Amino acid sequence: MLKTEGLGYWYQDKDQPLFQDINLEFDIGQSYAILGHSGTGKTTFLSLIAGLDKPKEGDILLGDRSLKKIGLTNYRRKDVSIVFQAYNLFTYMSPLNNLMTAMAITGAKHAGDKVYAKQILNDFGISEELALRNVQHLSGGQQQRVAIARTMACDAQLVVADEPTGNLDEDNTRDVIAQFQKIAHEQQKCVIIVTHEPDVADQCDHQFRLENKQFTQLA
Amino acid sequence: MNFFKRAWLNVWAKKGRSILLILVSSAILMFVLAGLLIRSAAVKATNQAKEEVGATVTLSANRQAAFKKMQSSSSSSKSSRPKLTLTPVKLSDATKIAKLSNISSYNVTSSTSVNASSYDTVSTSSGMGGNSSSGGPGGGMKSSTSSGDTQIDGVTATSLTSDFSDSQSKITKGRGITTADKDTNHVVIEKELASQNDLSVGDTITVKKTTGSKSKVKLKIVGIYKASATSSSSSPMSTDTSNTMYTSYTLANTFKGNKYAGTADSVTFNVKNPAKVSSVKTAGKKLINTSKYALSTDDSSYQTVKASMDNVESFANKIVWLVAIAGTIILALIVILMIRERRFEIGVLLSLGEARWKIIAQFFTEMLMVIVIAVAIAGAGGKLVGDQLGSQLVSQSTTTTQTSTSSSTGQPGGGGQPGGSGSGMKGGNGGPGNVGQSSSATKQADADLNISVSAVDLAELGGFGLAITFLSIMIASGGILRLEPKKVLIS
Repeated sequence: MLKTEGLGYWYQDKDQPLFQDINLEFDIGQSYAILGHSGTGKTTFLSLIAGLDKPKEGDILLGDRSLKKIGLTNYRRKDVSIVFQAYNLFTYMSPLNNLMTAMAITGAKHAGDKVYAKQILNDFGISEELALRNVQHLSGGQQQRVAIARTMACDAQLVVADEPTGNLDEDNTRDVIAQFQKIAHEQQKCVIIVTHEPDVADQCDHQFRLENKQFTQLA
Repeated sequence: MNFFKRAWLNVWAKKGRSILLILVSSAILMFVLAGLLIRSAAVKATNQAKEEVGATVTLSANRQAAFKKMQSSSSSSKSSRPKLTLTPVKLSDATKIAKLSNISSYNVTSSTSVNASSYDTVSTSSGMGGNSSSGGPGGGMKSSTSSGDTQIDGVTATSLTSDFSDSQSKITKGRGITTADKDTNHVVIEKELASQNDLSVGDTITVKKTTGSKSKVKLKIVGIYKASATSSSSSPMSTDTSNTMYTSYTLANTFKGNKYAGTADSVTFNVKNPAKVSSVKTAGKKLINTSKYALSTDDSSYQTVKASMDNVESFANKIVWLVAIAGTIILALIVILMIRERRFEIGVLLSLGEARWKIIAQFFTEMLMVIVIAVAIAGAGGKLVGDQLGSQLVSQSTTTTQTSTSSSTGQPGGGGQPGGSGSGMKGGNGGPGNVGQSSSATKQADADLNISVSAVDLAELGGFGLAITFLSIMIASGGILRLEPKKVLIS
């Protein structure tokens, strides 16, 4: 589904790249964990496949189409959903309105369908009462579930998450990872999670470690 | 168009911030509205001044041409004494000019003097050279031109004269002279003269002509008027103001002699729109013999009011633009701060694939909601600010204008004197008429600006509000256009 071809990235000096010549492939219905120490460039890699930044060299292909041709804004709207460590929800809205807004912006097929949005929230453990409260009145775990539910509400086939369990306790972490697995296997989406927690990575179908500017697939 | 909903949700959720923005915007718009109101009131006042103050064009004998003629004749024939001959105005010429557009009415003036016969004139103790004007029949001031002791002001109607229109003189009993008094012996006399001689409306008095057969003529009193101390007839050479009588110009011409029938000393035309005075003068000149007659204009009253209102209008314009520019800067700074505070929200929107222009449109919609409420508040409060500023401005500009015009209008009544029995002209340019007109200008300038909030003012304010909002959002949007979602969301 998603393929990187000779991907490379550096900040100032081309001779000191974060990573280079990366050739990876991610498939639908699978979950992937990208591990690595801080500063190795795993979040930068995620920002490239999420369409938040452009690679310095190489290309990213969605199916057969290059992201350069699709256009980053179009790609972010139609093909990818992002979950952040800090949830990044609209703080002046309720969980329901967060989902409705995301559906409207991305032009999801259920855009404007409140019942559908409530159902998704309910599937992620957000009751109807909670769905109508301001998101700031929800716990961290609940907010992260709303953020994941938002990716479900949109029709994107690719879900990328940057340290999604970074602010959560053990129970919530387990719960969130289970939700991601459900999205990958039941919804047939491709889930890529960047994490530094081996326990989280262990629950994913595939693991990659970014080390010495290269990705290594772990058994 | 999801940005409309987002804008509403944001404004509603952040009530405190929205209220603060409404208050700041209201304050800015209130001053903009005050400026707009003062400006429109000044324009209205100037237009009103055009209608109320008016301007005049006067047809009279061409003194300059007559004086030149006199000089040339004196140089050619040194034996005889040179004589200034002024040609009386033909009423047929006046009728032609009266037909021009923009002429609303006209007043024929023909002045002369007669001697009292059946009554005593009012004496004055401050005569020329210390001589007192003697009372009694045949008394009064005698001049070399055989002038009488009673001044006769022949007019079309007293209401058309500056003394009466400016309330310098007032009818206290009976009525004034009207067009219906043409070819009659009706007369309006002064209150003091009436009380001294125990005369009242309906009584008859007898005067003696100063020309020709010097026969006696009986006049019927139809009204009594009260003249103010500064009445235009009180020129140094005239008899006491109280000895001035108003008659129809036809009667005054009769006193002057048969050859003066169908003529006048001067004809004053009232011009509807003072701004058209020059064009009326130009058109009028084509209808008369300019070597004999002259057309002079007087729109000083209008100019005085116009200058005063122009000052106010110009100041109001400056207020509008200064407040609008300052308001735009203040709002732009607030919006910049607001946008910086919402970088994460913008980042999330960008990560969802929202177009940048839609994010800008969301902020614009939010500000628009604020501005709509602010316009309503400013509409209610702007009148109060406008009233205060307006009265302050008018009092300042009136003082300035009066100071500057007092030197240009000259002495009241200067330049004119009642003529003798011949072709005497009453007051040339800058003559008696100026007294009343300068006082009417002062009245106008003293008047308060009529400040009221109309739908047009509110629409104009809305336009300014919209422009200020648009500019401030555009200035602040530079940040949104440059924002990279990765930097906001990932770092």
